[in-house]
Amino acid sequence: MTSIEELNPTLKGIGNYEFGWSDSDDAGATATRGLNEDVVRDISGKKSEPQWMLDLRLKGLKLFHRKPMPTWGSDLGGIDFDNIKYFVRSSEKQATSWEDLPEDIKNTYDKLGIPEAEKQRLVAGVAAQYESEVVYHSIREDLEEKGVIFVDTDTALKEHEDLFKEYFGTVIPVGDNKFSALNTSVWSGGSFIYVPKGVHVDIPLQAYFRINTENMGQFERTLIIADEDSYVHYVEGCTAPIYSSDSLHSAVVEIIVKKGARVRYTTIQNWSNNVYNLVTKRATCEAGATMEWVDGNIGSKVTMKYPAIYLMGEHAKGETLSIAFAGEGQHQDAGAKMVHAAPHTSSSILSKSVARGGGRTSYRGLIQVNEGAHGSKSNVLCDALLVDQISRSDTYPYVDIREDDVSMGHEASVSKVSDDQLFYLMSRGMEQDEAMAMIVRGFVEPIAKELPMEYALELNRLIELQMEGAVG
Amino acid sequence: MTVTTDSVSAALEQTPTHERVDSHLHPEGSFDVDAHEVPTGREEIWRFTPLKRLKGLQADAEFMPSKTSCTWNTPAGARIEGVSGDEARGLRGLSGLVPNTRWAARVLAEVPDSLLIDLPADTELTEPIVVDLDGTDASVTEAGHVAMRFGAHSRAIVVLNHTGSSTVAAVVEIAVGDGADVTVVSIQDWADDAVHLSHHQARVGRDASYKHAAISFGGNVVRMDANVSYDGPGGSAELLGLYFADAGQHIEHRIFADHTAPQTKSHAVYKGALQGEKAHTVWVGNVLIRKVAEGIETYEENRNLVLTDGCQADSIPNLEIETGEIAGAGHASTTARFDDEHLFYLQSRGISEQEAQRLVVHGFFNDLIRKVGVPSIEDRLLTTVEAELAKNVLRDPGSLAAFAQEA
Repeated sequence: MTSIEELNPTLKGIGNYEFGWSDSDDAGATATRGLNEDVVRDISGKKSEPQWMLDLRLKGLKLFHRKPMPTWGSDLGGIDFDNIKYFVRSSEKQATSWEDLPEDIKNTYDKLGIPEAEKQRLVAGVAAQYESEVVYHSIREDLEEKGVIFVDTDTALKEHEDLFKEYFGTVIPVGDNKFSALNTSVWSGGSFIYVPKGVHVDIPLQAYFRINTENMGQFERTLIIADEDSYVHYVEGCTAPIYSSDSLHSAVVEIIVKKGARVRYTTIQNWSNNVYNLVTKRATCEAGATMEWVDGNIGSKVTMKYPAIYLMGEHAKGETLSIAFAGEGQHQDAGAKMVHAAPHTSSSILSKSVARGGGRTSYRGLIQVNEGAHGSKSNVLCDALLVDQISRSDTYPYVDIREDDVSMGHEASVSKVSDDQLFYLMSRGMEQDEAMAMIVRGFVEPIAKELPMEYALELNRLIELQMEGAVG
Repeated sequence: MTVTTDSVSAALEQTPTHERVDSHLHPEGSFDVDAHEVPTGREEIWRFTPLKRLKGLQADAEFMPSKTSCTWNTPAGARIEGVSGDEARGLRGLSGLVPNTRWAARVLAEVPDSLLIDLPADTELTEPIVVDLDGTDASVTEAGHVAMRFGAHSRAIVVLNHTGSSTVAAVVEIAVGDGADVTVVSIQDWADDAVHLSHHQARVGRDASYKHAAISFGGNVVRMDANVSYDGPGGSAELLGLYFADAGQHIEHRIFADHTAPQTKSHAVYKGALQGEKAHTVWVGNVLIRKVAEGIETYEENRNLVLTDGCQADSIPNLEIETGEIAGAGHASTTARFDDEHLFYLQSRGISEQEAQRLVVHGFFNDLIRKVGVPSIEDRLLTTVEAELAKNVLRDPGSLAAFAQEA
């Protein structure tokens, strides 16, 4: 039978995980493993941080040790906190042009296609984080002139300390959960974005996260502040090499959307299958503001990620589009949280998941309507597709309504790929694999069309690869 | 402790063995009381229940001699009686129940007697069995065990009717034989100080139909777990619920459809209304589709109607699926207040706002009451809904009188 690869020659040569190579690893080899006060002081010292940040880190460390591991979700037993390298410095200084980057890092990003995107002006700014720190950074000059700040979080602490201090940790407090405490104690890298009043950043700002070292823990910290009536779209992609033992990615993303502003945050998470991806993401929305999370989870061993939106002002709006693929050995525990804390706020969640080859997808969500948030509306739709008999799909939607004048709806459906659909497509001359991939593409299309072009193409390609051989 | 190792192992033998499913929703069951910690309120299965108001039932409150009167009718063909000793012990675990709470394990271990409803194979009852449980003293903490055994191809309706004041922990076990058709209705129309914890566990035989209706109006705290599992292919379960929570009331319904056999069906519809300060309802619908359960069909639905400010409605339809070979699975949950368009339409026809609200609430509940399908209690349910409405929505006594005339 003709395989997809023969039909699409471009797919040839792409393995099941095309980002699985690793560079030689000098920096990582010497990094210390394990977590204690000295490690935290050392990270802070290397970055010559102010005292208040060190104090905050130490507080985070204390809370991290005190908080219990969450037991309600995925099995996190495989994480060995003592074996993880918490800080790996790959390059002494940050480059602003690709030529200045060390050869191996440059090659990595060449393979990921990042300089290409920048050259073609598909993005307004680029940040590339390799291991613990951002190694390359640039932003279009005209945006810089308008006062848009797009730097890595370490630089932001040095150059914009007041702004930084005003917002850091205000959306996600240190002790929010075990992993936000861990992130606060050892954070490094990430993006810091400030968009001034009324400025529209019309093409996306982009960031690429790459783990190279085995047993590496990447703890980036992203802070986005969209001032009144501004707009920004931030896109991040994540990859890592395939190692036999596990790495940990535990980011914290805080977003402040002020009056009338709009922020869209797109993630295509394609970590290799040995990464625990435990991320806390939360945004607060002031009156009339809009926050949108577009969340694609394709890679990683375990992902636990529930982007949250706190609707704090009247007529604020939150939207989450979430898509998850789980293949063999993967558990995608993703979802969304919406907290309505003001009247006439609205939220919508659309979640689609596909499980195959014994993988497990879970939708876990919360809709909370606080007292006083009258006239709020919320709609949740989650669909799951199971393509075989050994995969698992769960739905855990929590709804907590404390107000009478609201309208809230939740709907979920789980289906298998129907024989009728397959038969129809095959009667038109398609191979079974191809028909299956087409059905899955159709299933995720409502979300795929919201992605930037190159990511949508990437997603389609990944679906075809994922689905290949899915039919027994 | 009155449980012998023999009765426990006999009960265990009856339990279909299935691979444990790794999930935070299903703590491991055990007949051993000490295997269950006293709940702290942080557990997934206790997170919504106000433990302080349970008077220790969830922990180690003494099970005192019952102050609840229990009477029933005995239609021809059925055997209904209180049993004790070995016979009662033999009924523990009849439904495949392995307790997953400390209180249920205590009920099985410590309560010496059972109310047995026994129906031989091929018996069809023409009138419902009605068991009236009327509590007289809410300061007495007590416990009870009810065992229902329906033979193959039998047909029956059982109504458990709870009234009065009581603080009671009850385990109801139901075994539905192959091809049987059984309806169990449990009405909680308690006085305002009653506390009621109950666990209804049913095992549905091959090609059998089982209908369970939980109807909760009164009580300080009412929590019912209505669970079902399947003994063979082709069984179907319809889990219905109707609840109306007033100020200060906590009404919690949890269902668990455990699809342990292929080609089985579960269909749940729970509808509730809330009114008054601190009225709290919880609905948790768990469905687990195990690897063996190919070709099953499941749908769960929960609708909440919030009538006043200050209420809280929690609604959680969980779905866990371990095989892709299913006919269909889904759930829906909504929480809303009156639909303005419905009210507007009715008012445009010249119906007063209050009357329109009344009609909307009746419309909301009526199809469910009809689904319960027990004509002898339909009128009573309609009247109770009306009485609940009179507390808030209809302060105008006129419409109540009008309704009384209609009825």
